[in-house]
Amino acid sequence: MLGKLLKVSILTLLSYLLQVTVAPLIAIGGVAPNIALALVAVITVCMGRKYTFMMSLSIGYLLEIMLPALDYINLILYPVCAMLGALVFSDKSERKLEEERAQGKRGRQWNAHLRTPMCAALSMLVFEGVNMMYTYLSGVTMDAAHWGRAIFDVVYSTLICAVLQFPIRWWMGTYKLRKAR
Amino acid sequence: MKLKVPKTERKRSSDSRLKRIVKGALITLLVIVLLGLAGTHLLALITGNALLAEPENQVSRVVTPIQTGFSSVVDWVVDYLYKLKLRSRIELEYNNLKQENEQLIYDAMLVEELQHKLSVYENLYDEISANESMNPLVATVIGRESGNYFSVFTINKGLNDGVEDYMAVTMDGALVGYTYNVTATKATVRTIIDSEASIAGLISSSRDQGTIRGTLGVDGTALCRMYYLPEDNLPRPGDLVVTSGVGMSFPKGIPIGTVRESTRGMESNKQFVVVEPQADFQHIEYVIVLRYQPEAEAVEERSSSNDSLAITPLDPAQPVPTIQIGNDFFQLAPTPEPTPEPTPVVTIGADGVEIVITPAPTDDTSISYEYQIPSGAATDNSYGFTLPPTATPSPTPPPLDLSVEED
Repeated sequence: MLGKLLKVSILTLLSYLLQVTVAPLIAIGGVAPNIALALVAVITVCMGRKYTFMMSLSIGYLLEIMLPALDYINLILYPVCAMLGALVFSDKSERKLEEERAQGKRGRQWNAHLRTPMCAALSMLVFEGVNMMYTYLSGVTMDAAHWGRAIFDVVYSTLICAVLQFPIRWWMGTYKLRKAR
Repeated sequence: MKLKVPKTERKRSSDSRLKRIVKGALITLLVIVLLGLAGTHLLALITGNALLAEPENQVSRVVTPIQTGFSSVVDWVVDYLYKLKLRSRIELEYNNLKQENEQLIYDAMLVEELQHKLSVYENLYDEISANESMNPLVATVIGRESGNYFSVFTINKGLNDGVEDYMAVTMDGALVGYTYNVTATKATVRTIIDSEASIAGLISSSRDQGTIRGTLGVDGTALCRMYYLPEDNLPRPGDLVVTSGVGMSFPKGIPIGTVRESTRGMESNKQFVVVEPQADFQHIEYVIVLRYQPEAEAVEERSSSNDSLAITPLDPAQPVPTIQIGNDFFQLAPTPEPTPEPTPVVTIGADGVEIVITPAPTDDTSISYEYQIPSGAATDNSYGFTLPPTATPSPTPPPLDLSVEED
């Protein structure tokens, strides 16, 4: 249990460090991916909502105090985006699945490797949407370049999430769990 | 009936419950701490209280060195990757430049080759222009057999081009050899350094005639020897040897070489004079075949002149000065007498004015068939005969003092 918590803590710190150091270096056309949200999405699917909330809140807090670009925005936005993704794409409990089956629904969920990038895409969509709204409310006229950059950022981060999910899931022991079952 | 749960199962169940409780408490604690930190941060922003900003300062103090270390690692990796990229680019650029350099070297060599060809063609043109009467023909060397004893090569002109056996072949204004074994499309040239070659030549200064033969098969050197010279003359080193026009259908006056050694008289077993050929036999690419044929009129004139044979009295015998060097005696060549100047004729014109008419001297060259050395041959960097460094002409000997000292 403590090992899992420790791994999540390390991953949280690593996500923050990657976001502030590596992300600007791998920017394409000036658009840097959001590695932090991508890793949070991976944790969302493989670890659940509690860890998602802890991780996203920690990253948001660190970004808020270390890179205070806008007041409150990172501290609030990261947990909100992560929890929205977790709400839709995190693993459902057996009880929930049983309830769905009882209601005549499908009662099963998509493959985790598919849900992980979709979770990242949803988180990124909310993140970019809020940021664009903030920019628009600041008096900036939105044009195609803004939309293009936002969409590219979502796609880029989703792709990174799709790639990084395999080593992280392996490191977190998710594949071992499945084998044990 | 009451089922009894085993003791080990009960213990495991209680352990997992305890773990769950601890885990829940820990997570809850962490969440509370995180929320507390976030709350104090928000409050610090809203109120501006410095005390509330203390927790975030502490966190920042912890995170900053970690971030610095991680950033330096990332920078090192990025720098390494950048160097790799730069190196690959430099290598690519180096390869491109190397390829370009090779192309330039090839172009330079091509230009040099073309310049050399142009120079050769210019020389050939000059030589042909100067000897149009010899019916010259430029030929390319297409095969060469140069061994220790024989030196022959094949040219791409033959009977179809008017080439016949024993025609003179020149290069750079010097005799190379003569043709033989001529077929329709090619001819073989035997060079003058070949031991089998035998050409009539004469020493330009003394007009002594002899026979030139190659020495390649004799002692392996690319030189010539001149045999059958009159014994009363001593050729000097540097004297020019040219064709005499006797024998084969060679024009007269083609430079063959220069006298290199003239020790014939000093050593009784040396019956020849060593002649250093003027032509460069190592670099023969293009040659000129002189399709020269002696005019039939001259032959006819000579044959028909039997009717008017006139007896010319011989010159009276004149003593020839003899000098002694060591134990050997040498006869000095008689000095050629200068041509007497024409006597001016005085004529009195109709108006009584005296007119002195001096007849022009007879120009022997205008009716001769001698080979003309091209005008550009005198320069060092062009073809033609230029004396090699070893064949420095000897200075004019001082006049001999033949007076007899009194005892």
